[in-house]
Amino acid sequence: MEKPRRITDSFPRRRRRGPGRPPGRLKDKKDKDKVQVKVRDCPRDPSEPAPDPALLEMLRRFDLSWEYGPCTGITRLQRWERAQELGLSPPGPIRDALLEHRDNPDVTYRWEWGGGQW
Amino acid sequence: MFSEQAAPTAQGLLSPPSAEPPTFPRVPVSGYSDCSQPFQLGERSFSRQYAHIYAVRLAGMRPGLEQRVRSRWGNDVALRKLSELQAGEKCCVIGTLFKAMQLQPSILQEISEEHNLVPQPPLPKYIQPSDELILEDELQRIKLEGAIDVQRLVTGTILAVYGSEQDDGRFLVEDHCFADLPPPLPWNGPSSDRFVLLASGLGLGSVSGEALLSTQLLVDVVTGQLGAEGEQSCAAHIARVILAGNLLSQNTQSRDTINKAKYLTKKTQAASVEAVKMLDEILLQLCTSVPVDVMPGEFDPTNYTLPQQPLHRCMLPLASAYATLRLVTNPYQADLDGVRFLGTSGQNISDIFKYSSMDDYLEILEWTLLAGHISPTAPDTLGCYPFYKSDPFILTECPHVYFCGNAPHFQSKLLQGKEGQRVLLLTVPDFSTTQTACLINLRNLTCQPITFSGFGADYED
Repeated sequence: MEKPRRITDSFPRRRRRGPGRPPGRLKDKKDKDKVQVKVRDCPRDPSEPAPDPALLEMLRRFDLSWEYGPCTGITRLQRWERAQELGLSPPGPIRDALLEHRDNPDVTYRWEWGGGQW
Repeated sequence: MFSEQAAPTAQGLLSPPSAEPPTFPRVPVSGYSDCSQPFQLGERSFSRQYAHIYAVRLAGMRPGLEQRVRSRWGNDVALRKLSELQAGEKCCVIGTLFKAMQLQPSILQEISEEHNLVPQPPLPKYIQPSDELILEDELQRIKLEGAIDVQRLVTGTILAVYGSEQDDGRFLVEDHCFADLPPPLPWNGPSSDRFVLLASGLGLGSVSGEALLSTQLLVDVVTGQLGAEGEQSCAAHIARVILAGNLLSQNTQSRDTINKAKYLTKKTQAASVEAVKMLDEILLQLCTSVPVDVMPGEFDPTNYTLPQQPLHRCMLPLASAYATLRLVTNPYQADLDGVRFLGTSGQNISDIFKYSSMDDYLEILEWTLLAGHISPTAPDTLGCYPFYKSDPFILTECPHVYFCGNAPHFQSKLLQGKEGQRVLLLTVPDFSTTQTACLINLRNLTCQPITFSGFGADYED
């Protein structure tokens, strides 16, 4: 009788060895350290310059100003846009800074209680 | 409507059938647009706190309230924030109300094991003479006393109080005002008679099947299969049917699968499965003949928090094949033939009923319209989605028909506003107990109840 066809017949499981090894296999100890360091480092695009502390200070002051409502649980850009729609006239330079450093999590991060997502 | 126009033709039932049966085309669907986009949630994220919704509620209603304050107490009245109050100075403060209630069910009390407390049984009303009102704005809060009805008001209302701060730190209120009726919408209603049938609380899946005959009679009247030619021509004027929630009965909510042992509940099916099949068949009969809007309610299989999302169309396979079936959110807002409808399935009104001394559903409905907010008690005692950008329950335009479903009785009132607003306030009764639905005439905003009943136990021939 014909052997029943399995999906693994079309896509057989192969053990990969040799130079074609997929990344992330921490068989090599040297590779392991490098991979770990990469993860710990901020996932920031290395070509972009780090935002200067004065900018971060301005953003922190924006977070803590009570006129624009609570700052927890939403990104700074969402908070800015909400304040704009409610007619509270938030300062324009904040938005420019937020859009400029869009991929930097230190700039755009949402305030979370306890430091983690629920 | 039915009786005056149909009575002369009742003799037609006694005459032999005519060769050509008359046909009555239904009034065409014109000018329908769904305005409930603010209540439709796309991606839902619950990783936010509820402080945002209160902040946007206050910020959103503050400008309107400031206008009301100036028109009511003069242009030179001092509008102060709580942090700027000075003792003895007469001023006006705008803020959110919080009512500290002793009997309010609190989850913390329920799980407090040290006290070994039995959880509080649900009461019809949680008001007590010892309740206190506290006004909160963005930064501070202050206790209110004076010319303000503590029992009547509920948490979450945005209001303006006029008075002065006392030496003991409380605010003595001399007068207060709400946002009042929102600005009116232009009237584009139809010039001929056009009716909308509103029913709520069909209660399918209940233990007793008494309401099933009445439900079938309702469907037959709307689809024109009941009555003589007079009734049929009247039914042809019904342009739309809105089912305002609680299509399933509370009995379908039994949580036996959680409470009982597994071997007892293994082969049983949830009661809501049969009930939804019944609902599908009823909706199929209705949808073949008239556009139907189905709103979910407290016991329907959709999410619990307001705004409730539409029922999924995979539950109603037979009826959702028809384009006349519209599954809509709760609360629901739509323009029918130029008449703006806004209504809920009643959870907001019954929640205010529990926490306020107001007893009449119509009075509570009118109060929510005057307070400018559909459901002020959300999210405090009524579940609500954590909005952060804007509060969709704030009333920005005055609807022409404002209804709430699942009320104990049918009540209606035409409210006239100072700026030319004309609102028909309507409490749609629970169909499974009262067998009454409402017919609204869009031409002149009148409403009449229509009751269906079979032979009751006390029927005497």
